[in-house]
Amino acid sequence: MRQGVPEGSLSTTFASLQKNALARWQQERSSAKPVITVGTATCGRAAGALDVVQAFQDELERHGIDCPVIEVGCMGHCYAEPLVVISKPFRPPICYSRVNPVIAQRLVREYILGDDPCLEFVLGALEPNDLIPSFQDFPRAAYEQKLLLKNCGHINPLDIDHYIANGGYTALVKALQSPPAHIISEIKKSGLRGRGGAGFSTGEKWEVCNGAQGRPKYVICNGDEGDPGAFMDRSILESDPHSVLEGMVIAAYAVGARYGYLYIRAEYPLAVEHTRIALAQARKYNLLGKHILGSDFSFDVTLFEGSGAFVCGEETALISSLEGKSGMPRHRPPYPAVSGLNGKPTVINNVKTLASVPHIINRGADWFAGIGTETSKGTAVFALAGKIVSTGLIEVPMGTTLRQVIFDVGSGIPNNKNFKAVQIGGPSGGCLPESSLDLPVDFNSLTGAGAMMGSGGMVVLDEDDCMVEIARYFLEFTQRESCGKCTFCRLGTRQMLSILDDITKGKGKLKNLETLERLAEDVKAGSLCGLGKTAPNPILTTLRYFRNEYIAHIVEKRCPSLMCRDLLTYYILPDKCERSCDACVGSCAVEAITPNKQRIKVIDQDKCTKCDMCRVACPVQYNAVVKLSPPQKVPVASK
Amino acid sequence: MNQVTLTINGIRITAPEGEKLLWAALDNGIYIPNLCGLKENTEPLAACRLCFVEIQGRNKPVTACTETVTERMVVDTKGEQCLRLAKSGFELLMASHALDCGHCLKNRNCELQRIAHHLRVSLKPRILRKILRDLPVDDSHPAFIYDPNKCVLCGRCIWVCRNHVKSGVFGFAHRGFQRRVTTFGDEPMGRSDCDGCLECVRVCPTGALVERGAVPRLGRTEPVY
Amino acid sequence: MTRNSFPQPITRQEEVEAKQKTRRVLKGFTKKRANLIPILQAVQRKLGYLPRIAMAEIAIFLDIPSVDVYEVVTFYNQFRLNPPGKHSVRVCLGTACHMKGGYITLDAWERRLKIKRGDTTPDREFDLDTVACVGCCTMAPVTVVDEKPEAKVEPTKVDGLLLAFEREKQQTSEKPQ
Repeated sequence: MRQGVPEGSLSTTFASLQKNALARWQQERSSAKPVITVGTATCGRAAGALDVVQAFQDELERHGIDCPVIEVGCMGHCYAEPLVVISKPFRPPICYSRVNPVIAQRLVREYILGDDPCLEFVLGALEPNDLIPSFQDFPRAAYEQKLLLKNCGHINPLDIDHYIANGGYTALVKALQSPPAHIISEIKKSGLRGRGGAGFSTGEKWEVCNGAQGRPKYVICNGDEGDPGAFMDRSILESDPHSVLEGMVIAAYAVGARYGYLYIRAEYPLAVEHTRIALAQARKYNLLGKHILGSDFSFDVTLFEGSGAFVCGEETALISSLEGKSGMPRHRPPYPAVSGLNGKPTVINNVKTLASVPHIINRGADWFAGIGTETSKGTAVFALAGKIVSTGLIEVPMGTTLRQVIFDVGSGIPNNKNFKAVQIGGPSGGCLPESSLDLPVDFNSLTGAGAMMGSGGMVVLDEDDCMVEIARYFLEFTQRESCGKCTFCRLGTRQMLSILDDITKGKGKLKNLETLERLAEDVKAGSLCGLGKTAPNPILTTLRYFRNEYIAHIVEKRCPSLMCRDLLTYYILPDKCERSCDACVGSCAVEAITPNKQRIKVIDQDKCTKCDMCRVACPVQYNAVVKLSPPQKVPVASK
Repeated sequence: MNQVTLTINGIRITAPEGEKLLWAALDNGIYIPNLCGLKENTEPLAACRLCFVEIQGRNKPVTACTETVTERMVVDTKGEQCLRLAKSGFELLMASHALDCGHCLKNRNCELQRIAHHLRVSLKPRILRKILRDLPVDDSHPAFIYDPNKCVLCGRCIWVCRNHVKSGVFGFAHRGFQRRVTTFGDEPMGRSDCDGCLECVRVCPTGALVERGAVPRLGRTEPVY
Repeated sequence: MTRNSFPQPITRQEEVEAKQKTRRVLKGFTKKRANLIPILQAVQRKLGYLPRIAMAEIAIFLDIPSVDVYEVVTFYNQFRLNPPGKHSVRVCLGTACHMKGGYITLDAWERRLKIKRGDTTPDREFDLDTVACVGCCTMAPVTVVDEKPEAKVEPTKVDGLLLAFEREKQQTSEKPQ
């Protein structure tokens, strides 16, 4: 405890906040009334969760039922949005998936008013019971360990009392009662490494900043989650913003910072809104601001909205952006911990890193260090997307294998397709093939395989995904997002993209591969910042594991996965086309399909935009629309 | 000021403490390719990525402009790794440089030619394809002509304009491949407040900024190897 | 008219109005360089874009070269130099969306609106752009229409969304009569 404040007063101040919060929480949750919670994070909203909330409220009002409808964050089961949990007295809380307004009305009438739990809409129960399979019975429960996501989808993110009632801010109280050096040594001992991608030891970063000269010091939370395919930070900021704030305040206390910034990208309006509300509430409770909880420690946080630049995820670029400049990275060292914002010592940590901190303080460094592998401690949060059944957010201990994550937690590949690769770490990461599936996910083993932990985006690719196209896609992204400061990144990514463009269009040459490989290595070694240094990873990994696909594009002008549009044709098999069916004709947005005299549908190749709609529209029992590659294979259809 | 002693390419040199390696080498007559460095600027931009050197005890080449000299430092400017990076970076720059030495006012006084000579490479890219931006040449100013297609984005002109002239006529704008030295709203230089002091022309390493009416130097258009 | 092409000239009256609005926004800020991005965001929220006059006013207010304001505006994706359309269409091109055909969706929007990405329709009804990732990867391919993420937007849904706007427009134009 810092000088001057009697130990007791801090805990007394907090105890009254806690008591109040608990009372409110209990009144809401354990009363005799039923409670409905609806997940209204961004993904829920995209699936129509707000209409569901409205439908519940209208229906409850119509029947005159007193039942609170609470908006919560993301439960991680994004594949099943909108998600609704209904808790009734003497019943286990039941989670319903893919709820729409009509189902909402039925649930009110049949389950809340009546007592039929409508099993056809149930995803699972939240607690083990005799009636309905619970989430604990799901195979993924065997692997999942929810730490950072514990509160997500459970509490109302807009209500600080919910967070406090679930043990929130106790770590801060505990931290404020011990000397900063002790906290730093705890974090060091826990083995926590930065969750932003590079995996630098958090404790060491804090220690350097703590010892650095210069005042005031700053703590910055890096919420500029720009990796396409990653949405962990968004989800945590939307669903449990206080956990991040608490981590920030503890970090600030440990390093002696006075001011903090929460940098959130502009593409996440809901995360910005929730965080803004959380900040106001924390200030009101004196968990932020001057003399936090009556102690000598003062710290306040400003919310800063990013303006759309991927490179700002790089810490020096982010600082530049906070200073009102364009997001240009600069040479390190000096590292921000020594000379950061306004030239002062600055700790920059990722959202998930900071959200891990309260857990370590509360449960001890040894407990945290007991989770995970030798080199990577704690849990890893992944955003599963792409060709996987259970898309969404998962949290597993470090060291879980990719196979377990994809096939057990994520339930595998949909539509009986074969797994081809998993893209980890976004534009900085790489594509790992089947043979790498038994790698444990931790910082070191992924880097060894040529990929990167990145921030935790995992996009699963199946047999229909072209690896050359994936590499081209990421290069297009990094090329567009390159700040343009240094030669290698600005011009190197451009050159590599132009080669990949040619290959996906069937204009590549074999000697291009050599150039590509050499250039990729040079850009990796020569670039100024992390964006450029990692930009070639998608190329290097696909060349390493899927070279045959490159060769098929170049030599045979063929896209083996039938994805590259310049290398394929759509064709309707005349013997499979059902003459009385016109599904494809109606689906075509450009009227390229017309029936011939025998009413067999024919595609006018000059008009066709290869949008794939006809193939989707063609009823499965006919499956008459096929893709052919190389394109010249298309038989000439008789009109 | 204290001096430190270090070895570059087997030659022992001394340099003031705190000096960056690039300037220590150049001041002692050891050339390291560079474009974006300005000795006066204490915060190196480190953007051109040409001044790579190898330092004993480091596993990767480092940029000499950002590296502070230390006592007994052993430096190699001719190592295979650092030359590969310098050549690769240079070829990238040349692949997006409007090469026209025969008509360029900077001919035979051009840093790019010097670097090509030093690295023993051609000015024309060998394996990379030419990717130009095709921006309009700005000849609206009475004192100088600006050809953005020859610019290597070293930023020296901007730095002197800000720090010597205390003017902010031009700066960088746009991002990535489209990044360029330009004026507010990409307007012609002639419509800006520039009074034509030509400080920027003096520091430009290429033919991007040249004095109007300067006489081209005659001679071979390109070093031949 | 693209988002970041050479700023288009605006009428005298538009200019005066933009200047006044910018000055009003500036009253809420201190003259610190660090405020540049929040100021630009606030002005764009007010005007929908950042006309030349607004950038010049901001430069004077912060006492920095106007080209520095221009640098920042042209650096970040969020800022526009030209007026937006009434409705904004943002096609997500994140990894998941791309793999599930986001580029096909973009094609469909471009075809239907008859403009390219980064452009505004001549009647200023729609502007079309892409966004790196809105984090709704599980709903791929996503298009954010007027801030609302629309899930699984395939070419036929593009037509459906446009039809809805068309109908809405008809209804509002019928009402006053």
